[in-house]
Amino acid sequence: MSAADEMPDMERHHNSVTRTPLNSVAVQRKSKSKSYRLSYRNRIGAASRLGLTPGLTARRLNTSRKAPESNKITVTNEQLTLLVKTEWKLSYVTPLYRFRHTQLKIYSRQLSAFIAAEKQQGLAVDVEGTQNTFRVSFSLVLGMTESVDDAVTVHIQIHSKPLFAKQDEPQRTVWSGWLTCINGNPEYLRSLPKDFICLPLFCSSGAGGLTSLVKSWFQQSFDCCFGPLEISHTSLQWLMALWTNCQPESSIRQLKMIWTLPVEPQLQVTYTVDAEDAWELWSSVRKKNTAGEGEENSIDIEEVMSFMQGLKAHFFRHFRLDLSAGSLNEVSTALGSAKHSGMIKFSNSKYMITTLMLLTECALLKMPI
Amino acid sequence: MDESKKRLVQRLMRKIPTKMLKTTLEKWGRLTGEQQRAMDSVHSKWALTENLLAICEENELAVKHLTELEMIYMIDNPDHGMWYAFQLTDPEDDAQSVDLTQFKEQFKSHLRELVREVSIKIKKHTDEAVWIRIAWGDASNHPDHLKPTYVVHYLQTPYVFVTRLTSKQKPMLSQAMVLSTRYLYFKDANLSGRNLTAIRDLLMRKYQQVFPTKYPSPLTERKQTVTNPHVEREQAKPAANRLQMACEAFGGGTLPQLQSAVYKLETKFKDHTNTLMTEREEPFRCVVKFSSTNLLESLKNCASSGIASTPVTPLLSSIPLKGKNYFVITDNGPGPSSQMRQTQN
Repeated sequence: MSAADEMPDMERHHNSVTRTPLNSVAVQRKSKSKSYRLSYRNRIGAASRLGLTPGLTARRLNTSRKAPESNKITVTNEQLTLLVKTEWKLSYVTPLYRFRHTQLKIYSRQLSAFIAAEKQQGLAVDVEGTQNTFRVSFSLVLGMTESVDDAVTVHIQIHSKPLFAKQDEPQRTVWSGWLTCINGNPEYLRSLPKDFICLPLFCSSGAGGLTSLVKSWFQQSFDCCFGPLEISHTSLQWLMALWTNCQPESSIRQLKMIWTLPVEPQLQVTYTVDAEDAWELWSSVRKKNTAGEGEENSIDIEEVMSFMQGLKAHFFRHFRLDLSAGSLNEVSTALGSAKHSGMIKFSNSKYMITTLMLLTECALLKMPI
Repeated sequence: MDESKKRLVQRLMRKIPTKMLKTTLEKWGRLTGEQQRAMDSVHSKWALTENLLAICEENELAVKHLTELEMIYMIDNPDHGMWYAFQLTDPEDDAQSVDLTQFKEQFKSHLRELVREVSIKIKKHTDEAVWIRIAWGDASNHPDHLKPTYVVHYLQTPYVFVTRLTSKQKPMLSQAMVLSTRYLYFKDANLSGRNLTAIRDLLMRKYQQVFPTKYPSPLTERKQTVTNPHVEREQAKPAANRLQMACEAFGGGTLPQLQSAVYKLETKFKDHTNTLMTEREEPFRCVVKFSSTNLLESLKNCASSGIASTPVTPLLSSIPLKGKNYFVITDNGPGPSSQMRQTQN
């Protein structure tokens, strides 16, 4: 097996080409239409002719994305600090029935009461070293939407007093979570019935017991469903490329990948590339952009895959070990880190939005309806 | 009892697991029968510590007795903590004739000349290993017994293994070793790991070596997996070849337990499909770290299962061949490993 065999065909397409996101083999399905939107409708049409449910079951992850830009966030610094530098566990959630952004105070009380009631019933809420009373606060995070169809992000915090706290000691946050929708697919969002709010991406941090309680309350109150959201291999590759793309503006310091190989005992490979070198490799695989209308600064999946191929090839040349035999578990740079198991951390708020757009897409793809 | 003695006892009790305590105390032999029985009857760590503190008072034990206890435990349980390998190079003519007594005297006197306040304990273990415990002090401080350095030297070999060592202490240890063993240099061997036994076995090649033979016989795999007989027949020869080459590269039987290997790559990016990067003058800088509970076993299985191509690349087979697990690779071959890689705790 030589490194040369691994390189995919670098065919140049000006249209977006759809691919089923398999691990190392790229399957090309040429779409006859000229733009992504058109081909999407075609697929929807075909699916409904076959009697399948239309909507997102026919969709695939976007094969083309806009390069991340900084300074688009208008969120207040105070709220940003709540979201960055924490590692969040990701889940997807189906649209919420009759969730009103205007009723947050009521929801806060309801959720507090729910947690208290569950504790009374003997449900163990194992938050170490805290007292039994929990106070919940819901808030809106304004300035975090990309398109007009996005619902406003909702942030939830659960506070409690430390176990042997004095009377006037402040409560501290023991759990936090947020629901968001950034640049959700407009067709899908508009196709939802009137009373549904779509905030498909759920991020949580804190005791697992509290996460379950919050999810139960949501399920009961808004007739929705939660499920685990993993970050697929393709999405991890996207994040690698999108973050590396930011290097000229904001140093990523290094591009780190953690792979595991299926041998006994399990072998872990941590492959860390210097920021400048990763950037140069990335620029070298970028296609020269013929400045088309509305297409400038977009990144194609093929470029992302070439980037990954380059990294794997360099590794293979030295160790004659094929990383494709293993699985990519974690990707991290100074801008953030992402794990295949469904964990994300934003270290820098400047490029959060692009990452969230990708994750929102992943969450929407998991919608069972 | 003074504070430093108390802290030493507490630290010892934290370090020594309860199940090892009985044997270690017995070997130490400084407890009366009654005291030993008292220790045996108690089980909680806290109570054991209190008991031991009381016994130390009763028997009027000094710090040097306590460090003896620590050393006994360390010698019997060398596979905890981080060990770094060093190598003595360029022996003088009389290096081979240095015997234990000479080494002990010389080492102590040289180190004492270099370090004002130092506490040295030397003990010869049964298997030719000389164990040295060093508690470092300086002009204004007594030796710090809470942060000792352990050194293990195999007489008649150039190998030395060291636990924690700061950058200030290293030159002094180096000088003392070099003068007392009659070598010229004390170099970082770029090999580190949690198991002293493993890195010693690797460096001194005390594991089953497999050599290429003219008539290779299939080595028996330890794990028997059920497969399709057609596939088995077809794959038998290539599989046997892969296994043979894997064993030649890494060894047979039980392999020394290394936890990680680090490669600092500073080679140019070469790929005929990417001319932009290939034309680049600067090297593509990256660091690759392999980790596993038993690294050599994992790598051997990568080779025998085909995940790694055989014959095994020299980069990977250098680990057992050169007895190293830190490499700097440049385009002119592996770079000078004179990197001062010693890490401090």
